[in-house]
Amino acid sequence: MPGQMKILEYDVLVIGGGIAGGESALNLANLGYNVLLVEKELSIGGKMILLSKVFPTLDCGACITTPKISEIARHPNITIFTGAEIRIITKKGEHLFEAIVSQNPRYVNIDDCTGCQLCEEACPVSVIDEYQYGLVGRKAAYIPFSIASPRAAAIDIENCTLCGACERVCPTQCIDFTQTVEEFLVKVKSVVVATGFELFDPLKIPRYGYDKFKNVTTAMHMERQLSPTRPFNSILRPGDGKLPDNIAYVLCAGSRDKSVGNPICSQVCCMYSIKQAQLLMGALPMADVTIYYLHIRAFGKGFNEFYAQSQDMGVEFIKGKIGKITEKENGNLILRYEDIEKGKVTEAEHDMVVLSIGLLPNQGISDVFDNETLQLDPFHFVDQSDILASPAKTSIEGVFVAGTASGPMDIPDSILSGGAASAETTSYLRRAAL
Amino acid sequence: MARINPEFTNELKKFGAFDTNACYNCGNCTAVCSLSDEDNSFPRKMIRYSVLGLESEIQTSLDPWLCYYCGECSTTCPREADPGELMMSLRRWLSAKYDWTGLSGLLYKSKTASAIAFLLLLVAVVWFAAYEQFNIETVMHYGHFFEMAAITLVFTLILLPNIIHMWWLTVLKPGIKAPLFAYFKATSELVVHMFTQKRTLGCDDSQVRWVEHFILVLAYLSLLFTTVFLNWFSSQSVFVIVLGYVESVLIFLVTFDFIRRRIQKNDEVSKYSHPSDWLFVIWLFLIGLTAFVVRLFIDFNFLVNNIWLYLVHLIVMVQWALLIVPFGKWTHFLYRSFAIYFNCLTLAPQKLEKQADAL
Repeated sequence: MPGQMKILEYDVLVIGGGIAGGESALNLANLGYNVLLVEKELSIGGKMILLSKVFPTLDCGACITTPKISEIARHPNITIFTGAEIRIITKKGEHLFEAIVSQNPRYVNIDDCTGCQLCEEACPVSVIDEYQYGLVGRKAAYIPFSIASPRAAAIDIENCTLCGACERVCPTQCIDFTQTVEEFLVKVKSVVVATGFELFDPLKIPRYGYDKFKNVTTAMHMERQLSPTRPFNSILRPGDGKLPDNIAYVLCAGSRDKSVGNPICSQVCCMYSIKQAQLLMGALPMADVTIYYLHIRAFGKGFNEFYAQSQDMGVEFIKGKIGKITEKENGNLILRYEDIEKGKVTEAEHDMVVLSIGLLPNQGISDVFDNETLQLDPFHFVDQSDILASPAKTSIEGVFVAGTASGPMDIPDSILSGGAASAETTSYLRRAAL
Repeated sequence: MARINPEFTNELKKFGAFDTNACYNCGNCTAVCSLSDEDNSFPRKMIRYSVLGLESEIQTSLDPWLCYYCGECSTTCPREADPGELMMSLRRWLSAKYDWTGLSGLLYKSKTASAIAFLLLLVAVVWFAAYEQFNIETVMHYGHFFEMAAITLVFTLILLPNIIHMWWLTVLKPGIKAPLFAYFKATSELVVHMFTQKRTLGCDDSQVRWVEHFILVLAYLSLLFTTVFLNWFSSQSVFVIVLGYVESVLIFLVTFDFIRRRIQKNDEVSKYSHPSDWLFVIWLFLIGLTAFVVRLFIDFNFLVNNIWLYLVHLIVMVQWALLIVPFGKWTHFLYRSFAIYFNCLTLAPQKLEKQADAL
């Protein structure tokens, strides 16, 4: 019932609180616009906040993200909804959109939570930690991850046994099991879509044995193991916790592959694999790292030098797509490929395999637009209707796109794209004022 | 220096290939192929040669014949370049290259030429029967005589020279010097592979395909023997008669299943059918079926009044023996087994070198 809904008014609605959406929101807020930032996860920061060091500078990802995130969080012109989703967006006219935003219950009053973690200690339920990509467990009453923003607890109601242990230990009595879904009617002048990407599901390539062979893992798992907030403080292979000493990277796992439905290049896998290889050389000085590639795409500023640096460090590069992976009794893996330079079928043994999985569109955002169509490109990313002249423009006037919502891109490009979206939004809003 | 011919993939399309130029050389096809090994790594190299149009490299290679088409490479190809069907097309193209008459290539490439050839033979048979005033005795007599003559002539004039041509292209031209005893030693491989096609068992897909094919080959060869040398249609021996019945039933049952699969297109290997594939399975089916019915009519004494039935059988036989056997898909029976034979010769010197190094 829209009549009973609380009505909120802002200049811009930014959908997605990752690095691109965050950058857009921050720029717009600094220009004096009121921004509502809606994030469906429990923390803003998107995928980038979970990463280790980033290419090509090897700066710590969290060290770039966290200051930016706290700036966004503290900004007087930005309101943040975490754990919230957009239900529907209706274009009411020029410079007027109405959105229904539903705030899912966190069962914790964020303003009162001090992040003391006593509830976490008290909670008897252990489940798999999705923010650590399943590497470790967490409680049902939990802080998403150590550098989350807001750094506040949440109750995972699906797994909660309603024992009340957290409620009893909470020193500020911020846990509230009576919370329900709350809907808001939001009136804005403009919308920025920054819904990001999803990771390719490696189960779609059964011949790589992900999930069947314990020591076949994904680059995102490796990213968590390498990051400053890593769970093990070391690199362990998942099968038996052994320190790996011969690691293989399988590039184009789920990218540039029509047979799995994603024919395009994900643009980041070559570089993040090279980066991880360099970090592994530091973390495990005795380990060998081999990257199996089709073509190395090191096209950005400083990328090719970064690639050359990894070769100098001793990372081995072999041209050839991995055809299939089989497991030995000791958990080691046999990779079968054609060595393109020699033209011969070859088998190589590694004790850990990292699948450099690709980037897929985060689908669903086009469905929330009610009376207008948000055009998607053939690969289901948001279509940029004027890609060269105004890259943030979409098929709906007043709706702009930022970051990987428009296609795979790396962090520098995402931040640039966020900047472009905020600039184009500003010029759209200024036109309203004139 | 190799000379690039970008038109070559267009030529191959006439033999059934698809979007070969889509290949980006990742080698996935070679890596997933369970028959590919260090000595013979295929199909990627063949795709590369095709894209570049390096005809002489393809002509001197035996790799297309060493593929038994499970289709795994096509299913998993990231570019949907269909390497499996390319290998199939290369086998058709090679059959045309080996054939000194050039008729093979014409029939593979042109549906019209095939239709005319089949029609001409039909007319010839009917004209001949009319000339003999549709006398069942004489027509059957000449029919049997035709079978013997066709086998001898097709083999000596077409197939044998073509095999020698293949030997020249794949062994002599690349400069492989195999000692004479290697030729003798490899004969056992030739015989085994010719009659069992056991290399198919190395493929990852269902083994039903091999069992059916094996039954078909044995039934076909023995029916040929039963009709030509035991004179099945005139035989009085119960053993020969029953043998012929069993063989012909097996042929049309197995080929019926092959046709069903080509229509349903459920597995990669039967997804695409070139006209030559249809002609091969349908004609084999017709041979089995008409032979069976002709003998049935003889046993029930119906044939004298139904000479048309024998004529149908004879037309199918003549078209089969003069078109499909020398110039069509039938030749794969020889080329596949001889490819394995010649491949043994190419491996021999390398293996000898390895042994010498070990000593």
